[in-house]
Amino acid sequence: MNPITIIWNFLSNTYHRLGSPREFYTISRYTTPVFGALFLVLSLIGTYFGLFVAPADYQQGDSFRILFVHVPVAWMSLFVYVVMATAGAIGLIWRMKMAFVVTICSAPIGAAFTALALMTGSIWGKPIWGTYWVWDARLTSELILLFLYFGIMAVYYAFEDRKTAEKATALLSVVGVVIVPIIHYSVEWWSSLHQGVTVFAEGGPKMPPEMLLPLAFMAFGFMFFYGYALFLSMQNKVLDNERKSGWVRALVNNKEQQS
Amino acid sequence: MFRNTSSLIQPLVFFIIIALLFPFSLPAEGLLLQRIGGGVIWVSAVLATMLSLESMFHSDYQDGTLEQMLIHPRSLSLAMLGKALAHWTATGLILTLFSPLLCVTFNIPSEQIWVLFTGLLLGTPSLTLIGAIGAALTVTLRRGGVLIAIIILPLYIPILIFGAGMLTQVAQGLEVTSQLYALAAILALSITLAPFAIAGALRITIN
Amino acid sequence: MPNLKVISANNLSCVRGDNLLFEGVSFDVSEGQCLHVTGPNGCGKTSLLRLISGINQTETGCIKWQGANTNDNSLFLSECAYIAHKEGLKNELTAIENLRYYQQLDGINDELALDDTLAKLKILKCADLLAQQLSFGQRRRLSFARLLIAEFSLWVLDEPFTGIDTDGRELMESLCVNHLKSGGLIIMTHHQTLLDSPLNQYRSELQLGQA
Repeated sequence: MNPITIIWNFLSNTYHRLGSPREFYTISRYTTPVFGALFLVLSLIGTYFGLFVAPADYQQGDSFRILFVHVPVAWMSLFVYVVMATAGAIGLIWRMKMAFVVTICSAPIGAAFTALALMTGSIWGKPIWGTYWVWDARLTSELILLFLYFGIMAVYYAFEDRKTAEKATALLSVVGVVIVPIIHYSVEWWSSLHQGVTVFAEGGPKMPPEMLLPLAFMAFGFMFFYGYALFLSMQNKVLDNERKSGWVRALVNNKEQQS
Repeated sequence: MFRNTSSLIQPLVFFIIIALLFPFSLPAEGLLLQRIGGGVIWVSAVLATMLSLESMFHSDYQDGTLEQMLIHPRSLSLAMLGKALAHWTATGLILTLFSPLLCVTFNIPSEQIWVLFTGLLLGTPSLTLIGAIGAALTVTLRRGGVLIAIIILPLYIPILIFGAGMLTQVAQGLEVTSQLYALAAILALSITLAPFAIAGALRITIN
Repeated sequence: MPNLKVISANNLSCVRGDNLLFEGVSFDVSEGQCLHVTGPNGCGKTSLLRLISGINQTETGCIKWQGANTNDNSLFLSECAYIAHKEGLKNELTAIENLRYYQQLDGINDELALDDTLAKLKILKCADLLAQQLSFGQRRRLSFARLLIAEFSLWVLDEPFTGIDTDGRELMESLCVNHLKSGGLIIMTHHQTLLDSPLNQYRSELQLGQA
């Protein structure tokens, strides 16, 4: 067998195993702590380098250091949305139970990232712009994103039947992902006070490596935090969804006997 | 729908009343109203459209016609496109036709009235089509009205930005073709994609 | 037997919330047969009919019409009619307008047939009344009229005899018998026994909710 076949078989096997709630639960019991540990290590390193090693900004002084939280959470707020909508599409097309769980469990985490990005942004904005809030493009887009998350969560809790709720939520997140670029573009056109793109600008990052490195650590750290929080929340959801099935009952009985 | 004239008039009356609330809540300066009048009319149109959405599928759901559409061999998406456009003629189109009258009460100059009119003509069908997705998702819920607003209003922002933005541009003597194109592009997208989402939403929620 | 019309369901199930309403339901109905779905309230009779008519999608198993899956099968959809508690009548339209609407949806345009159908169901005198002015029994008859305006092979009827008088019931039963005699299929729910009904000789029973 060539290596590609082996990798492919491994991936498709993992996909199918993760598609079953029970298998997911078993696997995630091992992966979740790993994600948590990676998050802790990466973010501690990132925080250390960000606070003590990176030089102060020649214009903004030390206040720019909030960037090491603000930028990664802002990235994550979009990343989570994309994951959520992709999972929703997978669930609707291939009728995969676990994909819906990903969608539903991602929404509150994404909303939290978005709220955090807004909060850190306005804390940062006070010393730099002299005000907590300006109606500029990125802040406004982020605020709209927060409301999209709220809408998706509201839809899920509005339905009594869980399956209907899951599908409706997935559909709305897919609709949202089509409209998000349009919202972003229109808001961009509407106003732009915010500083321009600095990291992914043409001709390489406009940031010294001492700043870029902690940023990268923090970004990956938060990525693992998302994985950690998502898996924890998914474990909960799976147990709740499957509470009538045999394996969950067996699990509960075992726990009771041990205690 | 046309047998029931009150459903035809309600959104229009609502539209005019919202727009007329603004002069009362703002300082009595003619110039201010003239400057913000276009935006006020856009916001009123968005709210009036949104409020009319709850009834869009409601009676069809109650009397069982919606179920019959679901199992008709013809395409449900196409039927929904027709339904949304019919709904638009009774709401968005009428609002658009009446908007110049409101403009006159706000003393908006005539070259802006034309821009507003064209903008509404291009924008309101998209409002109805996108809104219909929310209406379809909430049709089985007893109190879907607030939920529709939460789902749909964020999605309306681009249309509002381009539509109201045109008026600012015109007031400054700038070209508005790009915004018109943007509104037309959003309309083209809504006409092609929204019917599938509406049909999908109905198949999910009706059970 | 060429072109014998048959609907066969295999291993259907229905879950509502956390409750399993039924599972492993299988049946075959072919030309001239009437499947009578029985069972206590809340056992999933209506849910089963909605699965069959295609309003809801099957979670497990499959339903086949002439050997082809019924999901998104426009041939099946054009031959299957579903009549439920919600009659699908527009209150703002008159009886005959309601009927005309369905006729035109099926691509037919035949005014005489409309009058004829209303006459068959003995509601010709209400043809120009608004549907909201009709009595419950008259509405049931009008919804039944839909079955006759296009050539549906499979009638899926949810409690068709509820809320109508003896005369109406006899009328509907005779229409059903005619349909079966001319090679139609019927799947219906009815909470009472059909032993004394003329439908009895065509009838097979499917009991839900035994588990």
